[in-house]
This record gives sequence, C-alpha cells and structure tokens, in this order.
Amino acid sequence: MPANGETRRMKNWVFYIIFAAVIAAVLVIFHFISGRQFLDWSNVKGIISRSAYPCFIAWGFCFLFACGYTDMSIGGVVVLGSFASCILGNWFGLPGVIIGGLVVGLLLIFINFLIFTYSGIPSWIAGISLAMIYEALAFLLKISKGTKALISTSLAKEYRILGQLPWCLILLLIGFVIVYFIYNRTTVGLNIRALGGNKDVAEKLGINTKKTLLFVGLIAGILVGVSCVLQQSYAGQTTVKTGLTSINMIFQPLAIYLLAQIIRERINIVVCVPICAFILYSIFNLLTMLGVPSGTLQEAFLGAFIVIFGIIGSRKVKGVVK
Amino acid sequence: MSESILEIRGLNKHFGPTYANRNIDFTLGRGEVHGLLGENGSGKSTLLSQIAGLYRCDSGEMSVNGEKYDPHSPLDANARGISMVMQELGVIGSLPAGVNVFLGRTGQFSKGGIVDLGEMNRAAAAVFEKWELPMPRLGRLTEGMSIEERKMIELARALSIDPEILLLDEVTQSLSLNNRNRLYELIAKFRDMGRSVIVITHDIEEMVQITDVITVLRDGEVVGRVNTKDTDPDKLRMMMVGRNISGDYYRDDNVPECDGETVLEVRGLSVPGELEDVSFDVHAGEILGFCGLSDAGIHSVGKAVFGLTGAAGTVHFLPTDAYIKSAPQALANHMGYVPKDRDNEALMIHANIRDNSVLPSVNELKGPLGLLAPGKVSSLADGIVKRFSVKTTGIRQPMDALSGGNKQKVNLGRWLAKDLRLLILDCPTRGVDVGVKAAIYSLMKEAKKTGIAVILISDELTEVLGMADRLLVMKDGRVTREIRRDEDFTEQAVIGVMI
Repeated sequence: MPANGETRRMKNWVFYIIFAAVIAAVLVIFHFISGRQFLDWSNVKGIISRSAYPCFIAWGFCFLFACGYTDMSIGGVVVLGSFASCILGNWFGLPGVIIGGLVVGLLLIFINFLIFTYSGIPSWIAGISLAMIYEALAFLLKISKGTKALISTSLAKEYRILGQLPWCLILLLIGFVIVYFIYNRTTVGLNIRALGGNKDVAEKLGINTKKTLLFVGLIAGILVGVSCVLQQSYAGQTTVKTGLTSINMIFQPLAIYLLAQIIRERINIVVCVPICAFILYSIFNLLTMLGVPSGTLQEAFLGAFIVIFGIIGSRKVKGVVK
Repeated sequence: MSESILEIRGLNKHFGPTYANRNIDFTLGRGEVHGLLGENGSGKSTLLSQIAGLYRCDSGEMSVNGEKYDPHSPLDANARGISMVMQELGVIGSLPAGVNVFLGRTGQFSKGGIVDLGEMNRAAAAVFEKWELPMPRLGRLTEGMSIEERKMIELARALSIDPEILLLDEVTQSLSLNNRNRLYELIAKFRDMGRSVIVITHDIEEMVQITDVITVLRDGEVVGRVNTKDTDPDKLRMMMVGRNISGDYYRDDNVPECDGETVLEVRGLSVPGELEDVSFDVHAGEILGFCGLSDAGIHSVGKAVFGLTGAAGTVHFLPTDAYIKSAPQALANHMGYVPKDRDNEALMIHANIRDNSVLPSVNELKGPLGLLAPGKVSSLADGIVKRFSVKTTGIRQPMDALSGGNKQKVNLGRWLAKDLRLLILDCPTRGVDVGVKAAIYSLMKEAKKTGIAVILISDELTEVLGMADRLLVMKDGRVTREIRRDEDFTEQAVIGVMI
C-alpha cells in the first residue's frame, strides 16, 4: 500500500537528518585524520572559496543536461571570460572584473546554443569544435604582442575580493536562490526539464523548443559568466593550453553534478550541487593534507569516491516527493 | 440527426509518397460519441492528429461550430475547445504529475515569474475530482508511475482545458477494468453535457458499446459510416478489412490443459507494495491467465517471474532445475517476456527492426569468438518480418516508424523465433487491430500445441477468458481465486472475485 503524505514527509525528514549526521560525522573523522587541522575555520574558508567557482558551472550543467544537451566548450569559455575579467578588472576595478567575466561567459555560451539550436549538429560534437576554437583564440591572445602583457599580468589583489569569504559565499547564496527558483518554479525551468524528458511530447504540448533552448543558453551563460568572475578572483591568473586541455576545467564541476545526480532522488538537485561541491573539495583538501599528490592520484580517489557514492545512491527509493 | 460541431471536407494528408488520409469527409454531431475504426495503418490516428493540430492538412477544410478551423498546433486546437489523448504520447518522467497536467500552459500559474506549484496542484486535483479520475500523487515524478497512472494524467491534461470535443486514441487499451469503466462513465457524462467525443479503439465490442456512430477507414479512406445501433461487430469487421472475419478467434473449447509436465513452480513471490505471497505452477502447453483491477499487481507478476524486480520467494524453472533470479538467467533458461509498455520496456524504439529482432537471440547467434554474423542477423530479422507479415519498407526501418500492431508483431515474433519453454505475455494485444489480434491468438494456440507454457496477463477479461486454461484472479497483490476453464469461467464470476 502506498505511504500517506504524513509518512512520506516523516521518511524524508529522517533521511535529511541521517544525511546531515553522516556528513557531520565524516567531517569530524576528516578532522581527526588530518591531525585536527581540517575543521580549522581558515581551512573551511578555503574549501568554501574553492567550491564556489565549480558550483556555478555545475548549476549550469543542471540546465544543460536537463534539456538533453551538453557543452564541452565551457572550459574554453571560462579561460576567455577569465582573461576579460582580468584585463577589465585591472583597467576599471571591481566593475570591470564582474562585467568582463559575465559578458564574455554569457555571449559565448549563448552563441554556442545558437549553433546547437539552429545547426542541427549534435551538441557534444559542436561543443568540442568550439572548445578548440576558444582554446586557439586564448592561445593567440596569450602570445600576441598587443595582448600578451595584459594577459600575463595577474588580477590586482584588491580586486580579488569576490573569490574570498564572505563575498563568494554571498554570491553562492544569491546564485542558489535564483537557480533554485528558475529550475523548479518558473515556466522556463519546467519547459527546459520537459525538453530533456521527451522533446516530442514537449513540442506536441506547445512548448517552443528553440526558444527554450536559447533560454538555456542565456541561463547557463550567466552562470558560466559568474564562474569566470569567481575563477579569476580566486586564482588571479588563468593558464592557457591547447589540445582540448580546457575540458579538464569542467571535470570537477562535472563530478559535482554526477554526485548531485546520485542523491537527487531524495534532495532537489539544485540543493545537492553546493553540498556535493563542499564534500568533493573537502576530500581534495584532506588528501592534500595527507600528502597525496594532487592531480592523478587525487583524481583516482575522486573516481573511486564517485563509484562508491553511486552504488549507495543507486539503491532506488520509491515514493519520493519533490 | 444532431447538429454538427465538427465538419471535415476533402481532407488529405500524405507522408512522402504514402497517403495517410485521402479525401476524408467526416461529420461529428454535438453530444455524439463517434468511433473511428480501421486496421493498423488505416489513417485513424493521422485523422485525429490533424483535428488536434499535430499535423497540418495538405488540403481540405475543417470547420468547428460553422467557423473555419485550421489549427497550427495543439494549443490552437485547445483554444477552439479540442483536446486529445494520444496513443503513444506519454508524460514527462522528470516532472511531477501536477506539472504534467498543465505542461505547456504553466504560465497561467505564474506570478511575478514564479510558478505557484501549490495552486497548479490544486487546479490539477480539481480536474481529477471533477471527472472522477483516480488521482495520483501530484507532487511525485511520473517516471516511477505505471502506464495506467500515466494515461490518467494524460486524460486529466486533455480535460483540463474543459474541451467541447475530446479525442481519445486507444486510451482504453492501457486501462484495467475499473478504470475502463470510469472512462465509459466519463464519456457518457460528456455526451450528457452535450459535448462530443471521437474514440479510436481496436476493441470492436467496446466500440459498439460506447459509441453512437462509427466511421470505418481503410487505407486512408472512409469506407463507411454507420449508426452503431444498426450494426454488429461482425459487420464492422468485414467493413474494416474488406473480407469476412469470424469474431470467435478465441478458443472454442472448455477443456483445461493443465496436467502436463510442470515447467515453472512459483512460491511465495513478494514485492513490497506490489505482490504478497503469490504461488502458482505453470504446465507445459498450458495458458495460465492473470487478471485483476488496476492495483491488483498482475503486471508485477510477469516482471517478478522474469527476474526483473528482485522479488522475494522462489521461481523454480523445472526443466533445467534453475532458480530464476535475473533476466539473463531467465533468458538462458528458455523463458521469454513481452511487457505491457511496448515502447518503453520492450523495444529500442529508435533502433531498426533488425537490431530489435536479434536482441533476445544474441547468445544463440553469436559465433565461437562471440561475434555476430551480419548475414545470420539479417536472415533472422527477415524471417520474423515474413512469418508475421510485418508491414515495413525493410528490416532497416526504425521501429518508431511502424504502427502499433506492426511493432507488436516484431516484439512478439522475436521471442517466438526462439526455442522457448515458457513465454510471459503482458497485454500482448494492447493497441493492435483485429487482424493482428487474431494472428496473436493463433500464435498462442500454436505455442500451446508445441508444449510452450504461456503466462497471459491481461487487462481485458474477454481475452483471458477466451484463451486461458486456468485463471488466477488477483486483488491487492494476492491471488484470491483460481478458476479452471471447465468451472465457472464467466465474466460475472471473475468480476465478482476481482471486486
């Protein structure tokens, strides 16, 4: 017999409490493993600051994947957006940092979606082609006489406040509220999810699929734009490489999205993203403290963690209310 | 004759070189329930789709209430008071039931850009209550819901615009007896309110029971229009296929054959919330029927026996002394399963006939290195297409281009091409016409003769009564009664137990 509403609500609350308790317990274990350093406020601040930039990209993925598309060029867009943020930031201060990243991120992702929508090329193929173009463009800017000096200069320290607490946390909270409402409570959000659920049904029910896809470009563009601002504010400088290495930049946000996807049966995916980002960067942080070399070995740990989390999360739960 | 609400004159629609509708003249009266009858591929669904604004007409004219009607989209049709429940449309699994009811029109609940989900769910609940439809949990995602629940959401979606004309394409085929009766009541209520319904169903007896007028189509053309009270199922069958088809395609004997070698022994089968302690045996050459109302759990039996749900209890396949725990194990032990939800659970709908046909036979066809010989694969698919007379342009044609009946022929044919000992059929004649239905029953009889044990799960009582040797009636996940073919094998007796 199906559970009634009260029982369901009770079950959900039990799950939330257990979930929160497990996370708290894990963090305490991390604290002791790390020789009582992990939960130092300065360390926690570092984890939050580091989580902010990939969080916005992971929210962007929520919209992209919800409508059934993917965009492999986001790493390239972040590189170019970060350049713009850096150059304009050094010229015009904080407004330049914000406008530079936002405008480039929004413009390029929107252009990508114009191409996905009207060219008919599968988005992952078009995305890889665009990634190569954006990487080449970034490389040209890096070596060109006119722009080399501008790009090689780091963003001045006084304009990097958005990459640090409390500003990155404030941006995260604002971003969370906006993304939550757009994804769950607006017509465009529901239409985006309908499109990914079944494009034919969505079309037959009168949803304008092209317009909806362009909205995805707009929303994901703004989110990627914010992440350009945060990336530049956190790191101060952006590395440029070719050979599709910019795709590496989206691997961690992708891992956050995958983790969030696993627990979305129980918790709304928009809420899952910052939780998963925090969990993920906590693990990286612990591994660094334990002396595990960053890069390959840490990524191996990350892969194993996703698999284990996936096994636990894939145990189907029926009767979930969202 | 009643005043007309919809007039169609000289309507044409073609897809490439193929005519789907040719010079269709059609009149729908106010307060009339009008049936559209025809074989799979006769153009019925295309005609409804044009009325509903899903397809544009190539030529011809339509008018509603005497005014020109030329819908560009379903929203245009909705604006003129016309809505449709499609045969294979479905709902969006990643969205809650309440949102699915108003999908495409969620803007009406938007305040300051934010959709009021509470108000939307209340409005959806009001639709379910007004039309006395079983209400699902409106906040729950539809991806975990049964095909029947999803169909009810689609029905609520169509009714949510308060239509003057309701178009129903093969809706009853997805419903169990109780919900089917609810739909009949809804149709009667609609008629009483002076509104009109166009119904497509392959169940001719049902069509005769619920309609006032029937238009018969063949190869895209109207071949006749009759008042229902002036005709009978046999006359309609003849009009439909252009030759005489006997109505008694079911078994005409009342001798149960359930004493053969036991093939399957099921004990204490339980799935939380679906099945409770279900036990039964199936014998070689026996057709064991399962029937029950919508929540009875009959469809869970097929899945559980085939090892798809990880049920508690034992499924003992005696010929190989195997205890079935998973679908690959069932497959390796000469068992086959044809699920109810053809498009989502049985077929790779975007793949071609060839790839779909070979799927259950990969192990038998693969060579010593595990490779499949393309020639063998094509030959198997060709064999299925020929043996079951699948109407297709070739084995490379995608499944989604086939009509419902032809999809089912491939779906069933690929299992019958194997050396089976047990076949589980869940609503095998859902959405197929009378000709295909007769062919499927004939195949079941043939399978029975060759000693294959068949588990027949069906929402159509006449089907299980017509074909089964023994019938297990289920209620609330339990088997409540077993009736043999030589006992009180009547609809009244079974309904009495079901309810």
